[in-house]
Amino acid sequence: MNDRPDPKADGGATTPVDVPASGSDPEDPRAEDEPTGRRNARGIRNRLERRAIALFGLGTILLLVVLFYYPVATVFVEAVVVEGAVTLAVFLELLRDPFYFGDVARLFAGESPLAVASDLLSSDRRIGIVGFTAYQAFLSTLLSVALGVPAAYVLARYEFRGRRTLRSLTVLPFVLPSIMVAVGFVATFGENGTLNRALGLVGLGPIELMFTLEAILIAHAFYNAPLVARVTTAAWESVDASAIETARSLGASPFRAFRDIVAPQLYPAVLMGAALTFVFTFGTFPIVLALGGFELATVEVFVYRLIQDLNYAEAAALAIVELVITLGILYGYLRYEANHVVRSRGVRPLPRRPLSPPSLSLRELVPRAGIAIYAAVALVVFVSPIVSMLYASVAGPNGLTLDHYRFLIDRQQTAAAFQVRPWPAIRNSLLFAAGALALALPMGVVVSVLTTRRYRGRKLVDAVAMAPLAVSGIIVGIGLLRGPVFGIELAGWQITMGGAAAIVAAHAVSCYPFVVRTVAPGLESVDRSLVESARALGASRARALYDVELPLVWPGVVAGAAFVVAISMGEFSSTVILATGTDQYTMPVAIERFIGRRLGPATAMGVVLLVVTSISFVIIDRLGGESFGI
Amino acid sequence: MRALASEESDRSLESLESRSRSSSAESPTEDRPIAVDLADVTKRYAETTAVDDVSLSVREGEFFTLVGPSGCGKTTTLRLIAGFESPTDGTVRFHGEDVTGVPPEERDVGVVFQNYALFPHMSVGENVAYGLNFADPPGGVSDDERVRELLELVDLEGMQDREPDRLSGGQQQRVAIARALAPGPDVLLLDEPMSALDAQLRERLRIQVKGIQKELGITTIYVTHDQEEALAISDRVAVMRAGAPEQVAPPREIYRRPETRFVAEFVGDNNVFEGTVRSLEERANGGRRAELEVGPETFAVDLAREAAVGDAVTFCVRPENLQVSANEAGSSERNATTATVRSAEFLGETTRVHLEWHGQELLVRTRDPLSGDVAVGFEAEDAHVVAIDRTV
Repeated sequence: MNDRPDPKADGGATTPVDVPASGSDPEDPRAEDEPTGRRNARGIRNRLERRAIALFGLGTILLLVVLFYYPVATVFVEAVVVEGAVTLAVFLELLRDPFYFGDVARLFAGESPLAVASDLLSSDRRIGIVGFTAYQAFLSTLLSVALGVPAAYVLARYEFRGRRTLRSLTVLPFVLPSIMVAVGFVATFGENGTLNRALGLVGLGPIELMFTLEAILIAHAFYNAPLVARVTTAAWESVDASAIETARSLGASPFRAFRDIVAPQLYPAVLMGAALTFVFTFGTFPIVLALGGFELATVEVFVYRLIQDLNYAEAAALAIVELVITLGILYGYLRYEANHVVRSRGVRPLPRRPLSPPSLSLRELVPRAGIAIYAAVALVVFVSPIVSMLYASVAGPNGLTLDHYRFLIDRQQTAAAFQVRPWPAIRNSLLFAAGALALALPMGVVVSVLTTRRYRGRKLVDAVAMAPLAVSGIIVGIGLLRGPVFGIELAGWQITMGGAAAIVAAHAVSCYPFVVRTVAPGLESVDRSLVESARALGASRARALYDVELPLVWPGVVAGAAFVVAISMGEFSSTVILATGTDQYTMPVAIERFIGRRLGPATAMGVVLLVVTSISFVIIDRLGGESFGI
Repeated sequence: MRALASEESDRSLESLESRSRSSSAESPTEDRPIAVDLADVTKRYAETTAVDDVSLSVREGEFFTLVGPSGCGKTTTLRLIAGFESPTDGTVRFHGEDVTGVPPEERDVGVVFQNYALFPHMSVGENVAYGLNFADPPGGVSDDERVRELLELVDLEGMQDREPDRLSGGQQQRVAIARALAPGPDVLLLDEPMSALDAQLRERLRIQVKGIQKELGITTIYVTHDQEEALAISDRVAVMRAGAPEQVAPPREIYRRPETRFVAEFVGDNNVFEGTVRSLEERANGGRRAELEVGPETFAVDLAREAAVGDAVTFCVRPENLQVSANEAGSSERNATTATVRSAEFLGETTRVHLEWHGQELLVRTRDPLSGDVAVGFEAEDAHVVAIDRTV
């Protein structure tokens, strides 16, 4: 009688304990396909509504094919089709070229691995462009982690005024246009930048940071350290205080408890930040273009250069090599994540210490002194570029001036045909952002719905839909330019797409994954029984989405929209390609054209861009700062 | 069992009742037409079979309960009826019509979930009215009137404008019931609706749910893991295990004549014995009485089924049918033996005592405290045989 099944064992069990987590799917395709018996009379509208989600899904896939997959495919085809024949010659040439692969290229050329390895270990090794790209990405990752983890420590473990604001500011780099950041860095670290002026005041000689690896690394850290800090803070905050208290009560010292309980929960987050940082910095473009020039070219910059030289085959081959490396790292990381990341919400987070020391003991002062040093470094890296840009936009030889803004207005009236005028840049940026929003928002919502339901083939849909995140803007730009913009022959019809439409398409494709990132987590967390209740009451699947789910995830939708506007405003890679030689340039493109010649107007334009993206940031922060999964 | 005491509620109930499918809520349900029918329904997932070849019929106006431990397939069965899942095999029929593959919004069902699933961004009134977007309220009343009627039915009159999350758990669940009933569904499906509530509230709400069901005469399928609740509320109960019903019968029969050892042990407390037939004796009334060797003892048990000497017999005796007395000498009754008190739980009106008897635990109920060795016995008629394993 001891084995009597205890009904209480099930007590309070949450909803469908009987349903295995896998494969349970109210949206079984068969359920949608079979004709209804009884209530057929509800009419065509109802039937359309029943398939609304499928129709929208098809529409999105179609758009993706036309605006992304087809153009990108045309670029990649150039790498393997030479004069009508499929060949790997371009690739092999590329792989054997020491210019790209350094000493490793000799490996592909058939030299012995031992000889190559010994050369690589010697001091006069050559690493080539790909090697340099990986090298700077690696160093950027180290620097980002070094700057990001202390920030996470402060944000997760200390209480001080402005902590929440600081925490939400870690999302800002995502919406700051990289070309604007580059302007900020020139204004800070350039010959006449803030840093050298400050050094001059205390009698130190000027230092040359522009066009050095250091400048690029610092700029990359500016972008990515906040990301590392963000994911690590989240992990730290989800550590359950009672787990540590248990460890302490079992005899562990504070250090031991940290090592055994906290650290294992932080590693996966730090690794995630590092993996993403490496991928982002491996594909870096505007920063290196503006701060490194062609002397310190990375793969992406060189792809751009090859395209400018109309060497499409080699550009495509190089882009594919880049894509393979990036995807390889992402795949490796995702495999790790699947096995290691524990997503537990701390029932009771660790208590925060006050930042101002409660007593003047050594134990209290030492960590806070470290935090003070860190704060000084952070000020230089994260704050000075923005402040310097703001300052440079109003700084003249004789004190403060509005000359640079006046220059923009004058230029508007007097510019020659080949010169960049400010107003079209602002107008285009706004128009393209609106267009991108109109496309990306519905696409993002539909893909969110499709990727949060369970059905066979969901992973495929997920991969197909999120691929635009992995393909560089340059490739999308060149694909759209050489495909739809130059014209596609389809069944005897010549189809062409305007440059403006192509820019909107490129922006929409690169932005909508961010809508997915802000909307999907919300949708995922909407209780399934809410949707089921609506459906049992007579609502179609689409109607339930509209009536129940969307109102509940509305903040995520708005935050996604703000992302789209901000990223579209700041998009540079594809825009610079599609806008070349046209008057479709946007603010970032205009900044890039100013930056070489006149820093002042570039900073003034940068301030305009900063204002617009800051508004987006405020919207994101107010409506969904915590909820999105980036 | 009237759930609603107030006169106002009763008046509104009359109006609802006159419109409902069956006006004679008091009549037995056996001769009614079948409302919901599952034929050979199987639901398989990648690794598991949640529902395994289930055939069930629920009659119009019947209160039918699926009960079983977690993982037995009861919730999946309900979801197959609601249309949230499609069966891998088999057919689901509503009033004889095949609805397999028909989406839930076209099935005319009302569903109530354990977690209430109220739309948090809508008021109580909007929640109840939601289904009226897709169907006219029965009886030709306006939407507003219908909402008022139903809120009265569940004792929440005047709560239209409240936010759902400002209500208590019990109130939220009653809103959920009102919402499910508003469009006048054919079948009401309730998936563990009381599990999230505390014990007292659960009993009150269960009386109210049963009352509403009777008043409306609506076909109701109810899922619970609580066997006591199942017995208290249902016209018929299906005890499920491993994806299929072990027994489908009215509550009294389930309790008194369980057909399998699982049902015997799952429903209520029970003492199960396994023995071997020593001898058989035909009785005047046509039954058989067997002498069974159970451990070192010999018990006499009535057999309703065919058996032979040497067969293994499993039978059970409810705790209330085990007589126990402190007098360890044993009574003169036939099936008498001695056991040792291990522990006792004071439950209020009675005490549940755990005894040890030849390595097996026995449960008995007493008024007086017991300790040490005690005499235990039972009548042959009170032993209920659940299995006979024929050796020959």
